[in-house]
Amino acid sequence: MRYSRYILLFFILVALSGCSGHQGKMPVEITYWTGWSGHEFEIQKGLVDRFNAGHKNIHVKILSVFGSYQKVTIAFAGGDTPDVLSAVWAEQLAGYAMRGALTPLDSYLAASKRKPDEWSPGIWNMLQYKGHTYGMAATTNATFIAYNKQIFREAGITRLPQTIAELDDAAAKCTKYDANHRFIRYGFRPSGLASWAYVFGGKWYDQKTGKITANDPHNVQALQWMASYAKKYDIRKMQGFESTFGSAESVSGPFFVGKIGMWQCGEWVEQFTKRYAKDLDWGYFPLPYPPGGRPKSMTLGGSVFVIPSDCKNKKEAWEFLNWICGPEAVSDFCKGIGNVPPLRAVAGSPRFTKSPLFAFAGNLVSSENAFGPPQMPVWRTYMDQIVRAEDFAVLGGRDPKKMLDDVQKIMEQEMTDATEVL
Amino acid sequence: MSKGHSSSKRNQTILSHIVLSSLSLLCLLPFYWLVATSLKADMQVHAMPPVWFPHPIVWENYPKAMVYIPFLHYMKNTIVICVSSVIGTVLSCSLVAYSFSKIKWPGRDALFVLVLATLMLPGQVTMIPVFAIFRWLGWIGSYKPLIVPCFLGNAFYIFLLRQFFMSIPQELSDAAKVDGATEFSIYRMIILPLSKPALITVGLFTFIGAWNDFLGPLLYLNDDTKYTLSLGLQQFVGQHGQEWQLLMAAAVVMVVPIILIFIFAQNWFVKGIALTGIKG
Amino acid sequence: MAKQIIDKNLQRPKKSKAARRNLFNGLLFASPWILGFIVFTVYAISASLYYSFCRYDILTPPHWIGMKNYTRLLTDDVIFMHSLWNTMYMVIFGLPIGLVLSLALSLLLNIKVKGISIYRAIFYIPTLVPAVALATLWMWLLNTDIGLVNVLLSKIGIAGPGWLNDPAWAKPALIMMGLWGIGGSSIIYLAGLQNIPDHLYEAAELDGANSYHKLRHVTLPMLSPIIFFNLIMGLIGSFQYFTQVYIMTNGGPQDSTLFYALYLFNRAFVDLKMGYASAMAWILFAITLVCTLLVFKTSAKWVYYEGHTNE
Repeated sequence: MRYSRYILLFFILVALSGCSGHQGKMPVEITYWTGWSGHEFEIQKGLVDRFNAGHKNIHVKILSVFGSYQKVTIAFAGGDTPDVLSAVWAEQLAGYAMRGALTPLDSYLAASKRKPDEWSPGIWNMLQYKGHTYGMAATTNATFIAYNKQIFREAGITRLPQTIAELDDAAAKCTKYDANHRFIRYGFRPSGLASWAYVFGGKWYDQKTGKITANDPHNVQALQWMASYAKKYDIRKMQGFESTFGSAESVSGPFFVGKIGMWQCGEWVEQFTKRYAKDLDWGYFPLPYPPGGRPKSMTLGGSVFVIPSDCKNKKEAWEFLNWICGPEAVSDFCKGIGNVPPLRAVAGSPRFTKSPLFAFAGNLVSSENAFGPPQMPVWRTYMDQIVRAEDFAVLGGRDPKKMLDDVQKIMEQEMTDATEVL
Repeated sequence: MSKGHSSSKRNQTILSHIVLSSLSLLCLLPFYWLVATSLKADMQVHAMPPVWFPHPIVWENYPKAMVYIPFLHYMKNTIVICVSSVIGTVLSCSLVAYSFSKIKWPGRDALFVLVLATLMLPGQVTMIPVFAIFRWLGWIGSYKPLIVPCFLGNAFYIFLLRQFFMSIPQELSDAAKVDGATEFSIYRMIILPLSKPALITVGLFTFIGAWNDFLGPLLYLNDDTKYTLSLGLQQFVGQHGQEWQLLMAAAVVMVVPIILIFIFAQNWFVKGIALTGIKG
Repeated sequence: MAKQIIDKNLQRPKKSKAARRNLFNGLLFASPWILGFIVFTVYAISASLYYSFCRYDILTPPHWIGMKNYTRLLTDDVIFMHSLWNTMYMVIFGLPIGLVLSLALSLLLNIKVKGISIYRAIFYIPTLVPAVALATLWMWLLNTDIGLVNVLLSKIGIAGPGWLNDPAWAKPALIMMGLWGIGGSSIIYLAGLQNIPDHLYEAAELDGANSYHKLRHVTLPMLSPIIFFNLIMGLIGSFQYFTQVYIMTNGGPQDSTLFYALYLFNRAFVDLKMGYASAMAWILFAITLVCTLLVFKTSAKWVYYEGHTNE
């Protein structure tokens, strides 16, 4: 019976060696760079800590790069990229994918049984390039018009504007001048040509033919309409009026203090109304559209999460990426920063839909007319040019058609530069 | 004669004070704004018209800002970089400036133009190759890319010190040479002591530059335990609704040591006058 | 005759020995910079020159295209020409104002009154306040209706413009904002002013000089090496003006604040056209070099180095 002691000892030794062998295996270290800082970063960090606690075989190190284009591009140039990156914007995805900088995620998605219809169609499309998926999304925004209910009552507006004509009418009714023809309040000022072009039935790029369509007649129409507000209400006066209230996203923002009737914004506005304007009686409706235009239309964007192509630990990087863009993490992140979840199941969950605003916004994001960046490699440059055209046409009073013709010419050249085989 | 002289001098003094104080008020505006905003409650930060005197005064913004980021740790990191940068820069730039001003050698002025020329190419287009060199040396992730180049001269300060050294009469160096002094001892015993205000300026500017440097630490550091104050400051900035008042509080704490160093350095500026008793 | 030849031969070794010693010492003292140049700068500069003849999108290796970047910039890029004009505006208007005011300020801060070191600190503080912190302050100061600047202007009967919202006034607004940063140049002038020996002023006073004469005949000549420095560095700096507009305007309104360095940055890192941006950088280099050499050429006439013949 002495043997039993030795047998027990033997088994204990085996068990110990097995344990130490298991402990000897170090977790794989994954570096994760995010463009976010401040509040958004804090939440991401909390999520990373939670992931690390629940996954003993992987240790994720998070770092903020403060949205720096230089840091990210130089890292790619120097071959010093992190394993997971959320400092690339949706509008840059196609450009990076085209140049082979990103790992295609199709096989990983299939292995983890993720399906395209988990995401809103606009979101899913923006993650693709030439038939492959190159990124994941964790957050997105809707665009709509918020209106001041009291001003609408005063102005005698009983029906929420659904067409452009009704919108123009409502804007005129909400506007009030004083004896010196200065604003007491104004009705509406459209902004964001990229979105309004879609609303008017236009498009910026033809995916089938691969052609730039900057001066599409509908785009021109949209810009002319935007410029008409600048002319009718004297844009200098509007700007001066707005600036007396400082930043729009502050306690004295013109919408929050009842100085404008309608404001084009997103679901993120709720954070500000809750903080600065609790007593504001306000509502919301989708962007009105002209005949031949698109209902519930807008642009989608946001940060995308990618795995650079020279990542050395792709399996572990994917495990983390899949989790941080999975339902649990996305739900917490979007709740924390007040954005719409790009995952339809999460957007439709009670946690979000219990707020009518978020139910509304989530519905907008999944609309078939919500478009992410077109799958072309120079969309980032294109966006800058669209903003410039808007600046010149609306604020500078130049001819909208000429401005968009210029954009057409510039972007055709940019496209050639980016894609020509040298 | 002397009475009239002293009363006109008194008038001059009073006039100077008036001009100086009124301009000072204008100059203090940015700093006052910084401090005032740092003590505001959330609602008042962006209010328009601006709130000039915060009510209530939120002192808690300061302790809150100090724990939002590891402030003291970042300050320690920043001091290490700053002090090393100052030592390297003052040492190397004074040596190189001496060569360009006090030694006559063929090709000197052409090389000096080359030194200046390196300042004329915008740094954006050399960032990638410079990063590649640091990577090849294995220095990415450490402080070396921020500190070592300081020991290899800085064109701006080389130029500055060269101008100052050239204002020092050559007779002093010549006299010392006749006595058998080496270049290095002339540099150390004559030129450096006579250039205190310039050297202090170089040290001060280097310190402040390194203290506020954002891009360098951002590009070369990948570990936030090594981060500096300027990066820490950026961590307050979020996409929507950043906590401005905490950012300002942190900025104030970042600026105050520099102001103190500056005032302290003023003593050495005055001493420069006392030493300048040179016969022309 | 033989003696003369022998004497000449005896002289030559001494001269070349001293010259060789000077060359050796000169290079030795300059060696830190030379070392840095060889290890870092040469490669970096050559690489960027190479990029300027390439299409380089940073994510893939550069591809040689010859002069195409340069020809397009110089013949077909309206935005480039506009950015160059914007920058020249800063050089022509902003630089002189900054130079004169910082010099005037340093003279003011050199007065021997009690508490002058506090004043000096006060004038230097604006340069230390982070730009991001000043953004709201400036938004108010330059506000069209209620901003301090326009309110003061209205008191003397002028209707103030839209400043940063008005393409015609955005650059003057930036020059105004830049004035708070003159403390740095003033400190450098101050250091130079300390080096002017008192006995020169005393001698001038004995000759009956008043403040203006002292300024013109003692201060300015003695300060000229430093004025030269601030002029050259101001020139180089103005050509590369970037930070303020990167933070605040990003080129607007209507390209009125799209400066050369900002356009370069956007082309390089946002549009991924580093080759094009490198060509821009080298064009700017050439312009800056020409301007600097012109200033150097004129410097012989007005820069005075104590006890040196001008070289």
